[in-house]
Amino acid sequence: MKKVIRLVNVQIWAMLANMLSVGDLKKKKVNVIYAGIVLFTVVLGGTLCYYAYFVGSILKAYNSIEVLPSLFMAFACIMVLFTTLYKVKGTLFGFKDFDLLMSMPVSNSKIVASRIMLLYVLNFVFVFITMGAVTVVYGILARPGLIFYLFNFLAVFLLPLIPIIIASVLGTILSFISIRLKYSNIIYIVLVFLLVLVWMFLPFSIDTNEALAEASKAMADRINTIYPLAGLYSKAVTQGNIMSMIIFAAVSILAFMLFTWGIGKIFVKLNTEVMTGSYKAAYKLGELNISSPLMALYKKEFKRYFASPVYVLNTGFGMALLLILTVCLPFIDMRDLMGDVQLAVSLKEFVPLIILFCMATTCTTMASVSMEGKNLWILKSIPVSAKTIFASKILVNLTLLSPSVLASVIIGIILKFSFIDELLVLLLVVSFALFVPAFGLVINLSFPNLTWTNETVVVKQSTASVISIFSCIGLVAVFYGLIKFTDNFYTGALLFICLIWILNIIIYKVLTEKGVNKFIKL
Amino acid sequence: MLQIVNFSKTYKGGKRAVDGLSLEVNSGDIFGFIGHNGAGKTTTIRAIAGVLNFEEGDILIDGVSIKRDPVYCKKVTAYIPDNPDLYEHLSGIAYLNFIGDIYEVEKSDRRHLIEKYADAFELTSNLGDSISSYSHGMKQKLAIISALIHSPKLLVLDEPFVGLDPKAAHTLKGIMAQMCKNGSAIFFSTHVLEVAEKLCNRIGIIKNGKLVAYGPTQEVTGDSSLEDVFMELVETKQP
Repeated sequence: MKKVIRLVNVQIWAMLANMLSVGDLKKKKVNVIYAGIVLFTVVLGGTLCYYAYFVGSILKAYNSIEVLPSLFMAFACIMVLFTTLYKVKGTLFGFKDFDLLMSMPVSNSKIVASRIMLLYVLNFVFVFITMGAVTVVYGILARPGLIFYLFNFLAVFLLPLIPIIIASVLGTILSFISIRLKYSNIIYIVLVFLLVLVWMFLPFSIDTNEALAEASKAMADRINTIYPLAGLYSKAVTQGNIMSMIIFAAVSILAFMLFTWGIGKIFVKLNTEVMTGSYKAAYKLGELNISSPLMALYKKEFKRYFASPVYVLNTGFGMALLLILTVCLPFIDMRDLMGDVQLAVSLKEFVPLIILFCMATTCTTMASVSMEGKNLWILKSIPVSAKTIFASKILVNLTLLSPSVLASVIIGIILKFSFIDELLVLLLVVSFALFVPAFGLVINLSFPNLTWTNETVVVKQSTASVISIFSCIGLVAVFYGLIKFTDNFYTGALLFICLIWILNIIIYKVLTEKGVNKFIKL
Repeated sequence: MLQIVNFSKTYKGGKRAVDGLSLEVNSGDIFGFIGHNGAGKTTTIRAIAGVLNFEEGDILIDGVSIKRDPVYCKKVTAYIPDNPDLYEHLSGIAYLNFIGDIYEVEKSDRRHLIEKYADAFELTSNLGDSISSYSHGMKQKLAIISALIHSPKLLVLDEPFVGLDPKAAHTLKGIMAQMCKNGSAIFFSTHVLEVAEKLCNRIGIIKNGKLVAYGPTQEVTGDSSLEDVFMELVETKQP
């Protein structure tokens, strides 16, 4: 156990150093970033408290307040499952310091335990905030005894274990399936996409017309049936049932031990297969395709993108969802999909909001410089200007954003938008499409991380990715705010287009001047 | 072909890695750059290759300052670092073709040159495999082939013989000699003094960022071996 803790300790510090990599920024700027992280945590906690109080008040009115902790527990578990599924390849398998770790005199199961604990730590912060919020709200609304706080405190530490194990098992199976096939990474990405989509559309089968309290109770019952540990947890914390708490703890810990032991047995075999790939029989030189330097860089960048499942899954999901929505649109009623949202926005406002949101999550350039890592010397030594390199990275992002233009046209036709509405949506999409890649690149050049050992850290947890994604989503919120503020879709949309074009001019100027200097100094 | 004029590099924190270095490498020269660990060899080589930014002094390749026209300088130069980290998601042939595209190597020449150098380094049969499956030596060979296929005027290598098997090392030496006969210049760092002594017509010895010996190999070594000269220079305390 001592060795596991020591390994986890070293890996967490390495990960934190990577995550909080702020380059050579001045202390004042670094403090601003740390303050931003604290602010983000407070906002997330506050939002969760608000929702917990909103749902809890209704549940209390219907004498069903005991459902609240298990609802939030299920929410935390699903989030852990989702995010871990993305991280299995890169954290448990195919991670860069594999050779170093395996050369140490530590058993495989202990190394597996340390890697899973790393996933645990990554998830724990979110679980802690979520369960902290529900504990506070439930404490106010239900006034439970001391045992609730005690059991809930213990449960918070145990709660991420089973979802992490389930995600790891699924991730391991997907890795096993994909490595035997030619385009293993693409197949792995598609499989994870499909799994996440199944998870996402499962709740739609629940009847949304029921009252919230009834729906919540029904959902809690369903969760308890699908995931019995939720029932045990609920009984333990809301009824103070010691036996349920003991079983909940025992199952979580035993499953963890069993999983680390089991994976320990195939750890080396699986990692060897994941990392070495396949050897082709004696290669014979064939026809070579010639491209221009920009096209060569573009192709290289595209291949790099699809070689990283975590990169694709985190930056391609929005566009995949948009495409699915576009294809399914003739067969679904948009007003059903909007649900209660239609009270706040019209269809013509909802469509660009959804498209812009999907685009905001499709920012590949936020990590494209960092992803070069130790390969950066190649880009820096080839006879190509920094601007051409930037262009290749932006072009890849634009290619991935291009379905949004197609989607906006098709959705407009299906929903019978007027010519002016269609034109406005297209203008919004094109303007935002030019903004997202350039902005991501400027941010990545300002907060590069070239010393990473795990792609997940660069794609999901780096300063550049957090700033880029939240800023782009923030701009979508600004679009919504402008429509509401002006009380007119057309005025709001035109103001937003003007704002984006001003930002585009500034960003492209910064990129071609300061950005080039930053790249040279990397 | 290569002129280094009063080049200095100070890293953040104040460490002066290279201090006022000036030297010249002409067409046809094989220049050996020798020094102990941390002497400033890699810093100098990275600056020549355009990988490292610097403020003090200048580096001219084919008469052009790398600060003024880095793209031209890089076009006529090939650089191989001491530990070549290549694009592991590409196959060997995809990487070579990528380099061919970047340096705009003609289609007819490209195929011929890849075949010639891949055969010479016995890597042809592995070119279809992913670089991630390559050993250190195979990556080193691939990096060397990628440097040679665009026929550079200046070849800059950092410890090129580390990781190569004896046959590949012998092949590389032969290619280096042939390139110099054809008018290219080679600048490389090494710790293997015997290789430097036999292969280089000119050498430079760097100590704590300063050039302490420089000139034709015969003149620098005199009647002693390069190893004796190097040890004497390295062990002498600087004023």
